[in-house]
Amino acid sequence: MAIQFILVLNRQGRSRLVKWFNNSYKPVEKNRLISDIHRLISSRDSKHQSNFIEYQQHKLVYRRYAGLFFIASINLGDNELSYLESLHFLVEILDVYFNEVCELDLVFNFYKLYAILDEIYLGGEIQEISKQKILNRLAEIDKLD
Amino acid sequence: MATKQMKGLNSFIMDLRNSRDVEQENKRINLEINNIQSKFKHHYASNEVSTNTNSNGKDDISLSGYQKKKYICKLIYIYLLGYSEATNFGVREPLNLVASTVYSEKQTGYLALSILFKRSPTSSLKEHLNDLMDVMNGSLLRDLQSNNEDFNCLALHFISSNFNIDNERIDTEGSSKIHIVDDQDDNARQWLELTDLVFSFATSPIVAKHTRKKAVLALHVLFKLYPGVIISNSNWVPRILSLLEENEDLGLLTSSIPLIEFITTSISAKYAKSTMSSIARYLHRLLIEDACPKEYYYYSVPAPWLLVKLLSLVESLFLLVDEKTGNTVLTLTDLDSTTIGNLRSVISRSIQNSSQPVKGLPKKNSNSSILFQAVSLVIFLNASNEAVKGAVNALIYLLDSHETNTRYLSLDALIKLIGRGSISDVGNVFFTNEFNILIPKLFHLLSRDKDVSIKRKTLDLLYTLCNGSNYINIINGILEFYPHCEYSLKGEVAIKVAVLSEKYATESTWYVTTMLNLISQGTSAAASTSTNSHGSSTQIGNEVWERIVQIIVNNEELQAQSCKKIISLCNKSSGSNAVSENIIKVGGFVLGEYGHLIVNEKSDGDDDYSAESQFQILFSGYFRSSLSTRAMLLTSFLKFFEKYQDEPFIPDIIDLFEISTQSIDLEIQTRGFEYLKLCTADNSKELLSVVTRQFPVFEKKVSPLMSRIGNVERIVGRNRSSSFVNPHTIQQQKSAKSPSVTPPPASGLTVPPLNAPFKGVGQHRSVSTLSLPVTEEIDEDESNDDELVESRNQKTFEGEEDPFHDGVKEKVILSPNWYHGYHRMLQYDAGIFYENQFVKILYRIIKANSNIQYKFTIINNAAKTAGTNLTGFTILDLESSASKTDPNYLIQLGNQPEQTIADKTTFDVNIKIRNIVENDESPIITLSFNSGGSFNQLKLKFPVCFLRTLTSTNQIELEDFKKRWLQIGEQLPGPQGECISRTLTNYRCNSSNVVRLLARLGFNVVYSTPDNTEAGILVMGAGILHSQKSNYGVLVTIRSTDDVGKEFEIIVRCTGGGISEVINSSLREVLEGKF
Repeated sequence: MAIQFILVLNRQGRSRLVKWFNNSYKPVEKNRLISDIHRLISSRDSKHQSNFIEYQQHKLVYRRYAGLFFIASINLGDNELSYLESLHFLVEILDVYFNEVCELDLVFNFYKLYAILDEIYLGGEIQEISKQKILNRLAEIDKLD
Repeated sequence: MATKQMKGLNSFIMDLRNSRDVEQENKRINLEINNIQSKFKHHYASNEVSTNTNSNGKDDISLSGYQKKKYICKLIYIYLLGYSEATNFGVREPLNLVASTVYSEKQTGYLALSILFKRSPTSSLKEHLNDLMDVMNGSLLRDLQSNNEDFNCLALHFISSNFNIDNERIDTEGSSKIHIVDDQDDNARQWLELTDLVFSFATSPIVAKHTRKKAVLALHVLFKLYPGVIISNSNWVPRILSLLEENEDLGLLTSSIPLIEFITTSISAKYAKSTMSSIARYLHRLLIEDACPKEYYYYSVPAPWLLVKLLSLVESLFLLVDEKTGNTVLTLTDLDSTTIGNLRSVISRSIQNSSQPVKGLPKKNSNSSILFQAVSLVIFLNASNEAVKGAVNALIYLLDSHETNTRYLSLDALIKLIGRGSISDVGNVFFTNEFNILIPKLFHLLSRDKDVSIKRKTLDLLYTLCNGSNYINIINGILEFYPHCEYSLKGEVAIKVAVLSEKYATESTWYVTTMLNLISQGTSAAASTSTNSHGSSTQIGNEVWERIVQIIVNNEELQAQSCKKIISLCNKSSGSNAVSENIIKVGGFVLGEYGHLIVNEKSDGDDDYSAESQFQILFSGYFRSSLSTRAMLLTSFLKFFEKYQDEPFIPDIIDLFEISTQSIDLEIQTRGFEYLKLCTADNSKELLSVVTRQFPVFEKKVSPLMSRIGNVERIVGRNRSSSFVNPHTIQQQKSAKSPSVTPPPASGLTVPPLNAPFKGVGQHRSVSTLSLPVTEEIDEDESNDDELVESRNQKTFEGEEDPFHDGVKEKVILSPNWYHGYHRMLQYDAGIFYENQFVKILYRIIKANSNIQYKFTIINNAAKTAGTNLTGFTILDLESSASKTDPNYLIQLGNQPEQTIADKTTFDVNIKIRNIVENDESPIITLSFNSGGSFNQLKLKFPVCFLRTLTSTNQIELEDFKKRWLQIGEQLPGPQGECISRTLTNYRCNSSNVVRLLARLGFNVVYSTPDNTEAGILVMGAGILHSQKSNYGVLVTIRSTDDVGKEFEIIVRCTGGGISEVINSSLREVLEGKF
């Protein structure tokens, strides 16, 4: 599996989206990871430091959008830029879907985020790479009831 | 766009956000939970009442689907806020929602289950996943069997999200490779049923593409849990691999790559070659031919994520190693020229694309992601140094980039490139210029870059670059940087320097000087207070100084020299620069053990080597050291006491032992007490000399440093094992219920006897730790682990006949009616190889001595009948049955067939006969294709036999024939030179039939009886057999033994020993068929 988990944290360390693709983490471990990673990433200097961190037996790729950190944990052998750009792809989709997305959209629509993720990633792998197809599918789901 | 908010949920979230403090938030949450609880309770109460009384009237307190959904969402929100205990509502409510026929309710139900179903702290991952399966099985099956594809998708989402595990993680957690599901598990049937259903979704042509991609990903998840399914259903593999031919939906293709990678790298490597050709063709289409559908361009880059995934699969396939032989599974020579050409042009295009200036980060990143993925393939694809040089230069250029990401990734790519090739070998002068530019650049990065992870990568690259001729330069460069480097990096720097010095040092003085210089730069003893015993060990790990000690102990010539160096370092650093504690540790050990070797020597400089001076160095260090170091020094002083009984410092030692008996530290107190007794008690002399006996040589072969070397090896990936899920071990597990793990040997028992005194450390620290500190104990345990792992590996090696087959040679089932074509090919040079309703395969054989070329033409039979194209035509496998180590013939695919066949396509197979080919070594070709929605696979054998290399001799007379016949009889008498057999043909033959047959095979017919004679049939022929090693003359006589021309005797004589039998049996096979 390429992506172990995706986190969206705000600057205070509050999680706005947590998706564990890998189910072998224990609950205690999950909480520790989130606070560890927030500490690690929020202290980094965006000008002089890369968007990648080797962390335990994995790599974190992350990028900050306004007050939110989008973070993915990937395997050591995986292509950093590819997943970094995939996070950007996710952000672009959220932006269209929520019509200029902001942190509050994520708070109030937390349950929808999972449905959106399920159309882009599945089982820790990239599922769809066409923005238009994903947006069409999301519109279709919204019509269902 | 986002519509249909749940009002109640929104206002609840608002309330919580507006809470003044935690207390208010708590209150609001408790209120809500009580509310939800009572709502659900009433709902069920009312439901029960209504079913009992059969009243149809709608009750007010019964909840609507919308309300249930809203309450469940609130619960999820509360859970996500961190109130995990408050939301233990069980699974009844969510399961009810899952059973709903309203999409959003079902969706919420699944979401709730995946978030709220918690793993209990006591249950293992296996138990947890099986519990979840028990709860969900019914719902999942129902939704997968539903006719509503949206429901199918929800079930597939659930499977992929909740049953997904990381096998690597489990491996490191557990002691042996465990699978979550094994065939003998009670619920294996449930998992199998689910996997079956998902498989049919993934491969069915009538299911929508967007459902199929979800199914493919879910299938991968299930296979990881239960690899037994794919191993026992090996017929699934070709259908899964045919997903690679889904060329119009790139989403489906992207989703399929991980599964295909899993199968080709973990289940069966035999499809590696055919997979490679398909991928190469695909990469070419996307990147060079620009055949990417419009909707898949991302900032005008064609499907960047797919490209990266395909390239990375290519890399994994090249890195595959056959566990048994240790050879790579796939090399350049295995691939056909089209595939190689495709891959090469893709790589050069990637490099070209990224060197052009582009606007916008997304495009730039996408291009670079492709570049870095592609560049690491150069090493596999180019025999020429020029191309590698180009890649190395491009990456060196990128090291100057202003973007931190680019520098970081360039370093990473250089590590791969250099680590995998023999680029950094001493003899390789081809890259001297590059290295002369690169190495100073790296030193610059090491000292100037602002990102510590860049420095770490730089260090890794320097480590990779180091060789026997540049090591002094590199090590000195790193050492220069060491005092200024970041605290977090110091430990790593020290270990890398230590490993490199040990690996390359040719001169012992240089080694000792370098290493002692290194550890003398740690935190000074004074800086780390005595209460903080780990003061300096966090910088330079204990492994480093322990390793130096081990090497000094094992190398006699270093011992005196090290003593001198230590004294000189300690004298130099006296004053403002206090001595490093690591030096004190090494000094304590080395001077205690070997100090006596130099006491009578005179120093070149100002250093004093006398026992008194040695003692004072350690004694002054004692009070500035941490507790563990002090404990070590006590032992050193005991040795001083034993060696120099008349020196003036002896009372100081006794005093120190006496003070130590009052220490609050248990270790020091114990040592103080025991050593005091040894020094003062009567009759303790003998015991003392035993206790301070000289240290034995270390026996461990592997340096403990290697375990700390970091990720370099992982990045390079050269030593990556193919880690196949081994069907054989699964079989073993089936037969013996308990997994076949060797029990760990009781600690200490496996250690060689020489280490015995050393082992005592753990049990009786004080007395027997004569010279080494407490930490050694851990070190020993590690070595035990290593041995354990090794023995385990050996076990699996022995148990394994061939990792790619089922241990025993698998019986291949060929497609029906294959033999007609096979038999035809035995004797005719052209004709029909195979035909069914979909395809007709023609062949032509072109012989050139030991080289035989088979030209195949595939004709689409369905074009006439149904008017459809054959699609996804692939040569899945071309497997020779010759031995792998020294094959009698080599087989190679010349060019690939077209994938889509409207009318016909061709491909060639080239055979090189190296030696005498036995008759049971013919290859099997596996083809797969789709025709009008049906998936077809053909497995056909075609003959590669020695007889096929036959060419006719010059015209020879019967007399000559007879002479040679006798010659062979003399030189190779008996079965060596001659083979006689009898055969019965299906049809009556006359003499000219036999003559034509022999002529067809290439014999020069020397003699034949006329047709229709009473005397029967006698035909004689001669020919030459070819192999790369040698040519052989062969003579054949065929004689009828009945009156009707059905029974024959075949006699073959040949100039090569044992060949006549091979040729004879081929002839028999030809005769026995119809002709």
